[in-house]
Amino acid sequence: MNIPNVSDVVDGVRLRLRASSVLTLASLLIGLPGLVLHAEPLVPGFERFHAAEPSVPGGRLLYNELGCVNCHGGDDGLPKRRGPELAGITQRIQGDWLRAFLSDPAAVRAGTVMPHLLSGQKPGEVESVLQYLATLKSKPEPKTTRDVNVERGRELFHTVGCVACHTPDKTFQPPEGAPKASDFSYPSVPFPRLGEKYVLTSLAEFLRDPLRLRPDGRMPRIEMEETDRFDLAGYLLELSSSDPKAAPKLNPFVGDVSLVASGKQTVASARCASCHGLPEEVAVQPVPLRQMDGGCLAEAPTPGVPRYGLSGAQRSALKHFLNSREIPVAEAQTARLSLEALNCLACHERDGSGGPDAGRRAYFQGDHNLGDTGRYAPPLTGIGRKLQPEWFAKVLSGEARVRPYLHTKMPVYGGATDAMPTLFGRVDAKAEPTLPGGDDTAGRKLLGTQGGVNCITCHRWGAHASLGIQALDLSNIGQRLQPGWFREYLINPAGYRPGTLMPSFWPGGHAANQEILGGDTDRQIASIYSFAKSANGEPEGFPSAASGEFELLPKTHPVVLRTFMEKVGTHAILVGFPQGSHLAYDGKAGRPSLAWQGKFFDAYTTWFSRFAPFEKPLGQHVVVWPQAAPEPGVRFEGYRLDEKRVPVFLLNVGGVRVSDRFEAVEGGLVRSVVWDPARLKNFSITHPDGVAVTEHPDSTPGARRFNYSWK
Amino acid sequence: MKHLTPNMKASLTVCFLLGAATFGAASPYEIRDILTANSPVASRSKEWKPGAGISMEASGMDWTADGRLGVAVRKGEVWLLDGVLSGAADKVTYKLFASGLHEPLGLLRDGDSLLVTQRTEMTRLRDTNGDGEADEYLTAGNGWNVSGAYHGYVYGPKRDGRGNLWVTLNLDMGDHSDNKAAWRGWGGIVTPAGEFKPMAAGMRSPCGLGSNLAGDMFCVDQQGTWIATTPIYHLREGAFFLNPEGIASQNLPGSPVKLSGKVPEKVPYPEAVRALPEMCPPAVWLPYNKLGRSGTDLVVCDAQGKFGPFDGQMFVAEFTDSKVSRVFMEKVDGEYQGAAFPFLSGFASGIVRLLFGPDGSLLVGMSNRGWSSLGTKSYGLQRVVWNGSTPFAIREMRAHADGFELVFTQPVDRATAGDAGSYSMKSYTHLYSGAYGSEEIQTEPNPVTRATVSPDGLRVRLKVDNLRALYVHELRAEGVKSLQEGKLDYPDAYYTLNRIPKD
Repeated sequence: MNIPNVSDVVDGVRLRLRASSVLTLASLLIGLPGLVLHAEPLVPGFERFHAAEPSVPGGRLLYNELGCVNCHGGDDGLPKRRGPELAGITQRIQGDWLRAFLSDPAAVRAGTVMPHLLSGQKPGEVESVLQYLATLKSKPEPKTTRDVNVERGRELFHTVGCVACHTPDKTFQPPEGAPKASDFSYPSVPFPRLGEKYVLTSLAEFLRDPLRLRPDGRMPRIEMEETDRFDLAGYLLELSSSDPKAAPKLNPFVGDVSLVASGKQTVASARCASCHGLPEEVAVQPVPLRQMDGGCLAEAPTPGVPRYGLSGAQRSALKHFLNSREIPVAEAQTARLSLEALNCLACHERDGSGGPDAGRRAYFQGDHNLGDTGRYAPPLTGIGRKLQPEWFAKVLSGEARVRPYLHTKMPVYGGATDAMPTLFGRVDAKAEPTLPGGDDTAGRKLLGTQGGVNCITCHRWGAHASLGIQALDLSNIGQRLQPGWFREYLINPAGYRPGTLMPSFWPGGHAANQEILGGDTDRQIASIYSFAKSANGEPEGFPSAASGEFELLPKTHPVVLRTFMEKVGTHAILVGFPQGSHLAYDGKAGRPSLAWQGKFFDAYTTWFSRFAPFEKPLGQHVVVWPQAAPEPGVRFEGYRLDEKRVPVFLLNVGGVRVSDRFEAVEGGLVRSVVWDPARLKNFSITHPDGVAVTEHPDSTPGARRFNYSWK
Repeated sequence: MKHLTPNMKASLTVCFLLGAATFGAASPYEIRDILTANSPVASRSKEWKPGAGISMEASGMDWTADGRLGVAVRKGEVWLLDGVLSGAADKVTYKLFASGLHEPLGLLRDGDSLLVTQRTEMTRLRDTNGDGEADEYLTAGNGWNVSGAYHGYVYGPKRDGRGNLWVTLNLDMGDHSDNKAAWRGWGGIVTPAGEFKPMAAGMRSPCGLGSNLAGDMFCVDQQGTWIATTPIYHLREGAFFLNPEGIASQNLPGSPVKLSGKVPEKVPYPEAVRALPEMCPPAVWLPYNKLGRSGTDLVVCDAQGKFGPFDGQMFVAEFTDSKVSRVFMEKVDGEYQGAAFPFLSGFASGIVRLLFGPDGSLLVGMSNRGWSSLGTKSYGLQRVVWNGSTPFAIREMRAHADGFELVFTQPVDRATAGDAGSYSMKSYTHLYSGAYGSEEIQTEPNPVTRATVSPDGLRVRLKVDNLRALYVHELRAEGVKSLQEGKLDYPDAYYTLNRIPKD
């Protein structure tokens, strides 16, 4: 067995133990002085923002997140924290794991908020509870399965956002290197020994929609393809084979009807239904809170009282809350604690607090062209006055996503976020200046590059890629943003997002463009907004790739252009001839590569695309020279344009100059290869397939001439 | 004020766009249009076709033997402009000299030829038949890897005092990137035989090169991964600067760089320098936003007094804010370091290239294709002319063991300049890490305890506490007035104190 060293465990980096039994693990951990593997329940928002000193908000967060409120009532402002659905649990989770978990939840799943309820005073208690739960059937789990790519799953786990909450694998190397242990400012949610709990199909099915079994949204849903779910599940289960048939199976749960009745009784007396969805037959009544000390808050709760294993800080915070809470609470506190409860602040910052800490930042990746805005989620500062409430709701429901470049995906939290658009709308509201009426024509001009402020240089517009870096789509700003916020943002983008690449075109409120609308800042901004909202046309200046406006037309003389081209390489030199046959020469190997007929070339991508795809000829009948390894003794030395402006390619072959010239004639190309035969005996000349090759009768050694005619 | 109506496009006075308080301040420098996207055919116009107009996305400039201005443009052409110094933009004539090049980003006259760098090679362009157009496109240098990534740019060539031709190679980024392949993020010289000889490593987007009057070669890089803010490097053999993404090439034959240890990470920059002996600190840092964002070019002023009192100093072009900063350097313990000052702003587009004219005016070549710039024209060529009046500025800032010496362009008012309360200073550094840019960190005040004015009133010696080697020391001389009660054109100066002199 591996014995973890202290740093393995406390550094927030994933603990991958293969302990042979739960008991061994627990005793091992207890035996290490000073080591805390979240013996207490882990509420990341509490550990991060409130553990330092007891406060009412910290206690309120725990009161909700530990489920206190579910038994004792007394707070209904925060998203409900519930336990998972229990119907069908023995059909998806290994029975042995359930037995161990119910016997001592925190020993199996460190940091769990499930209290220790079955403290073992009745023998067979755990088994009878399980037997009762096994009678609660649900729809059978789907049987579909897929091949597993563990390495891909590992990549997904560390990039799509799982590690915002969960512990990263310290051997995974993000592009900037793995963070140091000390960079993690608060603990992550671990899930050791997941392989003893789930099987491949049940975990993949859970990942499809965690909200189905855990409707409280604390484990949100990230939209994924089926193949992603299986790869991720395979990685989490540490499968060694890509064949799903080789994965461990769910051990059949052996029922024992004789225990069901006593199990039902225990479920009712342990008040499981306070947190879990269970049948009416085990429903419970609330327990009024009569004392602010002892009970669950006692350092050693008496048998029969839920045992949470609270830390000192947690206990103090809860007591502080129960003794000093204000009623009614300020909505700003509810808003803030809602973000902490759902751990929104793991990714987002609000009012200067939260956002990924130094340890977790490394796992946020995206489009490097956009700097930090291309990899980190936007701040939630003023979110209620930034987004239109309808759009806010669409973001939460997953309908609207505007930052496709972020590799970390915004998940869906289900009903837990239903109250947010109106709540934040009220909390963030402030007196906004009214924008004057907009002028759509001026707005269109401002957005474009023909005398405007060039927004589309960096920003996408609907289906149009931008002309440069691919910053977020502006075509929906009228539906997405509130005008007052939009104005404030445009005047000082860095005020909302320090480090943004977005410059201000209205610095200090003064319009950089004085030509449109007389340089009136508010009217210019109102016009951009209203044009976008009108959805009536697009800004000026998008070159159209499809229109052929960048087609190069050799009219009176050959046209030469260098680019990257498929089957030619990075040193492609294209020559287009008015006669309609064209050539691509490889300026690295020093030889022709392609020839074609018809249209020559469209330079749009060469000039405008940042993805720099390797180009293709525009015409047809493409013929290819044999792609043998380049001749070692051949060096490309450039070209000369002759009196007809035809490029004559110059090669150095072992110190001897060879010139290679192509000229188009009706129906084909004429090639002349010239060198000094006294100094170079033989020069190997190859020809493309697909053309008829004839050597000219005047051809001599050192001055060979060929006709290429398309068949 | 910035007015660019069709009637007034020929003249555009420098304004300080980012400081509303200074709007309307008279400046001794005037920006004049030669050609901007206001010209009839814009590069993004749907009507534009190759050869059907001039998309002056200036990416390389030099003077030809016969006194014309050669301008390389990003779409692969070289134009020869006659009459740019005449003062009348409508008298300038344009002649297409070469075309079909792959994103040329530098142009240099060499005898009867023009050298341009393309993505794949340095090319010698020559007109051998006297028709005014290049008919020779000869490969004059290559040997670096070209993977096909959009950012696989090549910059230069520029000649140093020993006649070496320097080029720098951008790191690959995005699709097709391969920074393990040869020499991405490196700079070197192209030998007379046309081979690339690597000299220095650790760059990201080393967009502009230039040598100083002593013939030493410098280069300006841009903020991004591993690079907190725009740095200026003194290029020399064996140096490693900041960005290690292309360091794999140190294992190739011919590498003059061999790092003795692991590149440190996520440490304050001074610690990184101490941890890795090969790491050469930039001679000067240009603080982010305070002096723009992405440095693109540098030029040394050798105007014999025709561009104001700044001969020998360096001007650094910047893309996003479309501005030019001024840099003074001195040598301490044999290494360059110095101060950067705000200088000119209000240009029409993202600045890519700077070049002095023989008349002492400064040519400014621009293009903002691909990135945003505060100057909103698509491209352009402008010219900065000095009107002969001396600005009141901190011309030099020199380091001493116990503080700094400021040298002013005009005599100072002894009362304000001699008052330590007229100055404030703080110092800071950055986090050295693979993240994009960095905040200023470890900021501490540097109390100015004494200010002593020289008898001629042109120099002020500042006694400053808490000097820290390898930190940027930011001075604000807000209270200083000139003898004529004038305020400084900019009260800010940023000194990169790599070494504290022993005096």
